[in-house]
Amino acid sequence: MKNIITLFSFILIITSCDVVEGPYEIDTGGVIPLDTNTYVKKILIEDFTGHTCQNCPGAARELEAIHDLYGDQIIGMALHVSKAFARPYPSSQAPKYQYDFRTKWGKEWDDLFGISGIGLPGGMVNRIGYPNEHRLGKDEWLARVITELEKEIDFGISITTNMTGTEGVITINTEILNNINGDYNLVVCLSESNIINWQKDGSEDIEDYEHNHALRSLLSDENLSVSSSYSISDNLEKTISVNLSTLEQFNINYSQNTAELGNGNSGGWDALNMSVIAYIYDNTTQEILQVEEAHLNN
Amino acid sequence: MFKKITYTFIVSFLAINSLAQNNSGEIHGDFDLNMQSYQEDEIIGAKAADEIILNNAYLNINYTKGDFAAGLRYESYLNALMDFDENYKGNGIPFRYAAYTIDGLEVTVGNYYEQIGSGLIFRSYENKGLGADNAMDGIRLKYSPIKGVYLKSFIGKSRTYFTYAEGIIRGTDAEVNLNEALNLKSKTRIIIGQGLVSRFQADINPKFKLPQNVAAYSTRLNIINGGWNYSGEYAIKLNDPVGSLTSEGNNYANGNALMSSLTYSKRGFGIVAEMHRVDHMEFRSERAQEKQYIINYIPTLTKQHTYTLLALYPSATQTEGEFGNQIDIFYKIKKGSLLGGKYGTKITFNLSNIKSLEKGVKYNAENNEVGELSGSFKNDYNDFTPEFFSKDGSLYFKDINLEVYKKINKKIRATGVIAKQSYNKDVLEGKTPGTYGIVKSTIAIADISYKIKKGHTVRVELQELLADGGEGSWSMGLAEYTISPHWFFAVQDMYNWGNHDVSKQLHYVNINFGYLKGANRIEIGYGKKRAGIFCVGGVCKEVPSSNGFSLAISSSF
Repeated sequence: MKNIITLFSFILIITSCDVVEGPYEIDTGGVIPLDTNTYVKKILIEDFTGHTCQNCPGAARELEAIHDLYGDQIIGMALHVSKAFARPYPSSQAPKYQYDFRTKWGKEWDDLFGISGIGLPGGMVNRIGYPNEHRLGKDEWLARVITELEKEIDFGISITTNMTGTEGVITINTEILNNINGDYNLVVCLSESNIINWQKDGSEDIEDYEHNHALRSLLSDENLSVSSSYSISDNLEKTISVNLSTLEQFNINYSQNTAELGNGNSGGWDALNMSVIAYIYDNTTQEILQVEEAHLNN
Repeated sequence: MFKKITYTFIVSFLAINSLAQNNSGEIHGDFDLNMQSYQEDEIIGAKAADEIILNNAYLNINYTKGDFAAGLRYESYLNALMDFDENYKGNGIPFRYAAYTIDGLEVTVGNYYEQIGSGLIFRSYENKGLGADNAMDGIRLKYSPIKGVYLKSFIGKSRTYFTYAEGIIRGTDAEVNLNEALNLKSKTRIIIGQGLVSRFQADINPKFKLPQNVAAYSTRLNIINGGWNYSGEYAIKLNDPVGSLTSEGNNYANGNALMSSLTYSKRGFGIVAEMHRVDHMEFRSERAQEKQYIINYIPTLTKQHTYTLLALYPSATQTEGEFGNQIDIFYKIKKGSLLGGKYGTKITFNLSNIKSLEKGVKYNAENNEVGELSGSFKNDYNDFTPEFFSKDGSLYFKDINLEVYKKINKKIRATGVIAKQSYNKDVLEGKTPGTYGIVKSTIAIADISYKIKKGHTVRVELQELLADGGEGSWSMGLAEYTISPHWFFAVQDMYNWGNHDVSKQLHYVNINFGYLKGANRIEIGYGKKRAGIFCVGGVCKEVPSSNGFSLAISSSF
């Protein structure tokens, strides 16, 4: 009897609580600049979003906050998906939500990873956890980022671009940092930031919302190498010719002819605000192992 | 690890089973299977399943011998039905337990379901219809040191799909029946209770201070005297920010909830008056997780309708903030009176009204308005607590309904219901404010059953919902023929004749028949289901539209 009371008392004590007093925010001392002479682990956060999704700006702010904390080790990509949250409004409701940010590849990845089917916003951090635990709410991103930052890297990626106007060449160099075997793909995409357009934010319709990291185009998704064996210090180079006008027209056509309730209003790209994102993922697990980003006009 | 534990349990279970054959323990179980085919139907927005047929199945097995019990549940989602979260995938034994009781102490290890009071601070439960199962995995002790004093404590992790959330949940509860404990002879019985729950999760946030141990506690009181019964519970949850990296994402305010209910009943008459106030009171098994991690329960304060059109627009409890009240009156008009007739007449009146708390404004570091607040909110730039009573709370849900049940003669029974409902579609379905507004509807139901001859009964339901907002007006008809004890046949049609979009003025026809024999039940159906909201006790989920065959089998032994 005495023991039982002791046991109950013990459990009562351990059910304790912490009360945190403000100020709640801690001065983190800012971002430590990256040493650009060596490769470091970088992380891709794919933010599945929509311009009429009222909670999605909160996810975009969370992504920016993680970027503010870890600097250029964090690379964001915003994928506007779903008919419910990303379709343009009918012209009768102009000027609100007339733009169509959706892309063919955003739809394909959304279908593959099942993000918007459960609701937006949702995202993935390096696609870790596929197939069952990869879809994360925005408040789960940080914990996954912290875990990912601890990982060692097997690949170093560097991006160089040579653009003249809307045409040019992008070169991706991949350096192998360890002897490894596996089935890997290299993906190269274009994203655009500083796009000023409508966005639902809570109950507000924001006319001049700044959309960042919006996926514009997939340039390549191919095997990193014909071999599955990689040796330390190997260098793999991939060159891609780019014509922004052609890519832009592809998205316009996609919106006009394929996307549900699309209107073809997907143009107006600004090359000065565009970035190249290149990442390597494991074909078996879908995990993104390394990622890099560079301005298109650098 | 999960598999290892499961195998250990299975081996132990089989060992116990073989032992049982020699020592006359008892084994009971039940089995449920729900299978559905999904065809594409563009008109109603139904998607086809790649698998063509989806399947959910469960088998519970429980062994008892004296004061010992053990059991497990096998679950199979190959793949899960479309109205289930696709994270339910594959087969497994996610529920297994062993328990014994000796000298008043009950020990349970493994999985268990538990609730403290009304569930305001903790409720672990499963509801297959909702796709909800947050079973605990850990240790639970229950003990009654003296008559009228009931103690329990538990520790464990809460289930989500086939895994467990990161938080470690600890809880204690003490309930005292004063009359039993003090051996009082009073006609007034008083029961008091106190519960405490705490969740531990490490703080890994580099930018914000987070509480690692988040506590919630509640006090409850129940007084019973003759036909009177008062029940009240007050709960507080201490600071529980989600762990965001943005200041506006972290809410350090305490939450609270109050429930109060007064009942009076005597033969042929009953009245229940209830209120509740909820302010920032959602408690989850993990910081920064979504609603499948919820481990507490705020009971809804609206009538749980069973007729389809009455439940078309159901109320879901808004745990961030709501104030509700409800009154239920039951009266049976005596047999032999003018209105009572030969068998008497039962009348039920219900009125519920759910409103928001006082709204607030959220500011950022630059003192700019960045959003609206529905409940308490506290961070470095805000400290908002809504007034207890809000004069200008916006309407979430209102329902006034009257139900009359009458047995007319030995062959005919009839139920009639008339109701008026107001449903804030934007808030209750999480839509952007101003998108749909409030859907006001008037609903009438007639339910008549006629006993043709012994064992043969036909039942007809006619339902009508008139509304301008939402999907507009609906009609529904149902005819059901039962040949007891083995067969039933049913056909129903829901017709959305009042939809403002003419292309959506559709019929949703369903045909079902079933066979029952002993402990086995088989039901086969075919038809279209509309997309909508399905709720149980204020917990709701969105259900997609579907078109296809269904098979349901249940069995027990």
